[in-house]
Amino acid sequence: MKQQALWPAVLAAALVLAGCGSASGTKNPSDAAGGKLVVWDWKSGDKTAAAYVEKAKADFAKKHPGVTVEFVAQPFDQYYTLLGTAIQSGKGPDVMLFNGGGQLRDRVSALLPLDEFIAADKQRLAGWDAFAKDGKVYAAPITLQGHPIYYNKALYKKAGLNPDRPATTWSAFVNDCATITKATQATCFAVGNKEGAGIQFFMSGLGSGILTPKEYTDWIAGKRDWNSPNVKRMFELWKEANDSGLNNKGANSTALFNDAFGLFSSGKAVNIIGLMSDIGHWKDFREFLGADNVGVMQAPVITSGTTPSLPYDGGIGYGIAKWTQNPALAADLVRSLTSIDALHAFYTGAGAIVSDTTVKTSDGGPAVTTIVSSLKDGKPALHVALSSKTQDLMGRLSQQIIAGSVSVDDALKQLAESDKAS
Amino acid sequence: MPVGRSTSVHSAGAEWTDEARGLASRRRWEARAETPRAPRRFRGDRLAPYVLVAPALLIILGLRLWPLLLGVNFSFTGDGDRDGMPVGLDNYADLLSDPVFQIALRNVGLLALLLPVAVAVPGLLATFIFLRVPGHRVFRSVYFFPAVLSPVIVGSIFNLLLAFDGPLNSLIEGIGLGPVDWLGDPKVAMFTVVGVHIWATFGMALVVFLAGFSTLDPTLVDAARADGATVAQMIWHVIIPALSRTIQFVFVTTMIGMLTSMFGLIYVMTSGGPGGSTYLPEYYIWVQQGQMNRPALASAASTVLFLIMLVMGLVQIALLRRAGRED
Repeated sequence: MKQQALWPAVLAAALVLAGCGSASGTKNPSDAAGGKLVVWDWKSGDKTAAAYVEKAKADFAKKHPGVTVEFVAQPFDQYYTLLGTAIQSGKGPDVMLFNGGGQLRDRVSALLPLDEFIAADKQRLAGWDAFAKDGKVYAAPITLQGHPIYYNKALYKKAGLNPDRPATTWSAFVNDCATITKATQATCFAVGNKEGAGIQFFMSGLGSGILTPKEYTDWIAGKRDWNSPNVKRMFELWKEANDSGLNNKGANSTALFNDAFGLFSSGKAVNIIGLMSDIGHWKDFREFLGADNVGVMQAPVITSGTTPSLPYDGGIGYGIAKWTQNPALAADLVRSLTSIDALHAFYTGAGAIVSDTTVKTSDGGPAVTTIVSSLKDGKPALHVALSSKTQDLMGRLSQQIIAGSVSVDDALKQLAESDKAS
Repeated sequence: MPVGRSTSVHSAGAEWTDEARGLASRRRWEARAETPRAPRRFRGDRLAPYVLVAPALLIILGLRLWPLLLGVNFSFTGDGDRDGMPVGLDNYADLLSDPVFQIALRNVGLLALLLPVAVAVPGLLATFIFLRVPGHRVFRSVYFFPAVLSPVIVGSIFNLLLAFDGPLNSLIEGIGLGPVDWLGDPKVAMFTVVGVHIWATFGMALVVFLAGFSTLDPTLVDAARADGATVAQMIWHVIIPALSRTIQFVFVTTMIGMLTSMFGLIYVMTSGGPGGSTYLPEYYIWVQQGQMNRPALASAASTVLFLIMLVMGLVQIALLRRAGRED
């Protein structure tokens, strides 16, 4: 018994002493073998990405026949945790996949600026901004990620509405929803906010119909006025939409990935603000609803004087670790991973809207045609401009707004503070 | 076992015997033997215990204490731009001002408050089995069943059962009550998750209770029965006093279980939501390290969690020791 008590006491003493210690953040360059490049991602294990990986590997093998490339597919849930450990130890993959925006920007200290390597691709590919920080590019985009509003044309037809002419104003949109809900029991929106991501999709999907073009540009440029009436309107609308029954019930306990997508795919909701690539996108919905029944609409005009546009950014892209031994070699691999043949294979296999907009998508059906044609006038998504810390806070606040435990004003105040700090 | 003078085992044995006879006789024995090996053998014997505990000690020092100290040390460095720089107590200040971490700490307090429930459930059910309610054999195995399921599976099952349009709400609406958003209402969600955790883990505590009951003197129960005690009286005056050590043991293990093994359930059922209401320190650490890329802050949170566990462990050890004295 005595010994049992002694141990924790010794531990506590040791801890107190250890508290006097100082920082130990040494970084060692890795000893990666010269003839091998290691790539970390969460895609290469998917069947749908197999052709893409093959094409990219073949393209790279032509340029560097002696170099082996090893793809390590990590589970997405744990990806940034594992990557964080690798970064902390200064050892890890040479090339790694990132989500654009906060996830990349938080980790640029571990990445190599790519500007000198990718000059030739700058024009061909779109979506660079999501992978840039302070004027330097840290990853090359392979997909574009955005938030189109998908709608179920079959439900429109069933309710006697014209599926090819969706509403262009908020009031007409809500009226259409009421008609459809009455006729089919389907709710207006499928919303999943369990992860706190529902608000991000809502904000970005409808934001271009709420903020004026100037407010929108300012927001993206980092000049965000959280007290402006239109910003407040976004959050009020988030609450209103839920309170007035436009959303499926229990949005806070519905997972966006993939229960909300499931609600839309099974015809239990008319609209969903989805994704363009990866999952929850036109190709997924097409499998359940049929290619002709998946429609894509512009955001309805909610504040007059706004010009709705497709919100999108660079989706996922490959960056190069600072510790790689041969940056030029790794850069060549990144270029192969963004080559047109590889990207075309990724579009065909996974249905991703790829960063090379010259990739042919005419065989994809009406939804993908609408998306691709909207890219030209598209703008960066509102939520991507926020730091991951602010996004996390916004997720929590959005749940509390729905639950009624935090007011919109209070939420905006907290968000303004967090946004200012980061 | 064949005995031969040439085996070292035997020599060592002989030496111990000598020692038992006393120092004087050993000196005589050494003088008689006059071999240079004898003192060395003696030293080897003194070292033997240390050599034997060395592997365990090295494992504890190298794989437990040393990383622990590194972690604590790391918590005094910065994240992001200040990576690797000493920042003093900044991370701890950040932690204490973070409302999510405050929720996580409050939830630890809530767990401590709910601990009696988590102990009473298996305790009562074990009592009923002990008192041989009809079907007690079936219950004994059925109760243990959830304990073999992984938290992810349990979480997924309850996600379906507790969904807003799920079976439980249909049942409640069937008897005329409004639906409850079990996992989506910040006031309810933590209780739901704790409830599911108790359901999933009480089987283990039940087994411990049943083991405790096997040491209970049946004549006491018979005597109480003969005196006409009710079930409630029997539990209060006979069973609880007799099982006090078992109950304390279950308290300790249940609390540790609640603090260290609810991650899976939270991850699957609520992702810490809604509004951060189901955060526990463990989940907070994971989010900060993996999602927010703030490993040093996560280390600080780990250190705080460690201290909480240390305090709870010490308190519980003290309680157990007192109970031991009473016996």
